[in-house]
Amino acid sequence: MTLQFGPILEQWPYLLGGAWLSLQIAVLAFACGMLIGMVCASILHQGPRLLRRPVAAYITFATNTPQLVQIFFLFFGLPTMGIILSPFAAVLLGATFNAGAYLSEILRAGFASVRRTELEAAQVLGFSRAQSLRYVVIPHVIKTMLPPLSNQFIVMTLGTSMASIFGVEELTGRTENLAAQTYLSVEAFGVAAVMYVALTLLATGVLALCARSGNRTR
Amino acid sequence: MTYYDLRLLLDGFLTTLILALLGGLAGCVIGFAAALLRNTDSRAMAPVRAALFVYCLVFRRVPFLVTLMLIFFASQSMQANLSTFAVAAISLALIAAAYLCEIIRGGLASVHANQWQAARALNFGYWQTLRYVIVPQAWRVILPPTFGFLVMFIKDTALASQIGVMDLTSAGKVLENKGMSAPLVYGTILMLYFLMSYPLSRLGKRVESRHAVTRHR
Repeated sequence: MTLQFGPILEQWPYLLGGAWLSLQIAVLAFACGMLIGMVCASILHQGPRLLRRPVAAYITFATNTPQLVQIFFLFFGLPTMGIILSPFAAVLLGATFNAGAYLSEILRAGFASVRRTELEAAQVLGFSRAQSLRYVVIPHVIKTMLPPLSNQFIVMTLGTSMASIFGVEELTGRTENLAAQTYLSVEAFGVAAVMYVALTLLATGVLALCARSGNRTR
Repeated sequence: MTYYDLRLLLDGFLTTLILALLGGLAGCVIGFAAALLRNTDSRAMAPVRAALFVYCLVFRRVPFLVTLMLIFFASQSMQANLSTFAVAAISLALIAAAYLCEIIRGGLASVHANQWQAARALNFGYWQTLRYVIVPQAWRVILPPTFGFLVMFIKDTALASQIGVMDLTSAGKVLENKGMSAPLVYGTILMLYFLMSYPLSRLGKRVESRHAVTRHR
């Protein structure tokens, strides 16, 4: 077996475009998931008791079922109920649904890691509520939550490869196209694998930099 | 819903379960061996350590779908006549090994180096040290993330349906193509996956609270 990477590497901008779309899906789903996570985590932390059960049920359900089947449900199941989603929307919705659950668990743990005494100390020092949030809670929470958050972002970036199954032309989808055109499947997927490694390493690096600049106010 | 539809679902359920079990077990064994190798510190082992570092890095940063396709096409072009089930099992084992290697290595590293020295002073051999000193202490650090990983792992096996393994997800697709209502079919499939992974995640939570490591905050 001889490997020919030439024809694949020629198409490198095409693949890069796919990687860009992958990153967009991941960032969008992460942002929306963060919103869901914030709301759910606040409810679990000190919200009304009535809402805690449904939120806990959502988290248990979403974290215990495969994202692929969830998207199958959204993409193939909802049209029979009259809701027709585009492949991109279905994938984004599925990824958000999943990410929301994981992120609320991470955020809840982050909130729980702030001790009451810390807040009391800030109050004693005459910090207003906003100030204690800005100078005490957030720096602390960011520091404890950043590793799991960046891990979650990596998992989600890898999860975007599922979009190819529904016909979204992100990195994996475009790799499949290329493999079908050139018959060089091993090479195409090899190049895609390297690009995914580069993409996630880049994301880890950027997130670590963000953390460092966020921690400067100690 | 005929008898054969039920059989299809049951077979799919068992296939997913066996795939996850095989991959998880192989991953534990290979991952543990790899973690021990990465924990060595002789000069001669440096290339092995570097290779394992790259292995763990790469397999944790490539989507499962791409790994699956890569191994599928590679085995095809090398004319290894592997069944799709074997391809899926091999890729699952490779991925599980990479993740579990990191988890186990972290657990071993959490045991202070003094413990190794103390065990040597007491004339423990390498394996004895591992068996009676290191692993009992590393265990509680290793277990919680391992359960977390295995829960995610069961769900990841759903992607094996994409290379044609007749697992639970494929069974769902077949039933849908036979004309059953899609929400019903996929709802059932979701519940069946839930049935598999929920007990495991409950067990994980129990283990975690029992072995809770005292954290100094």
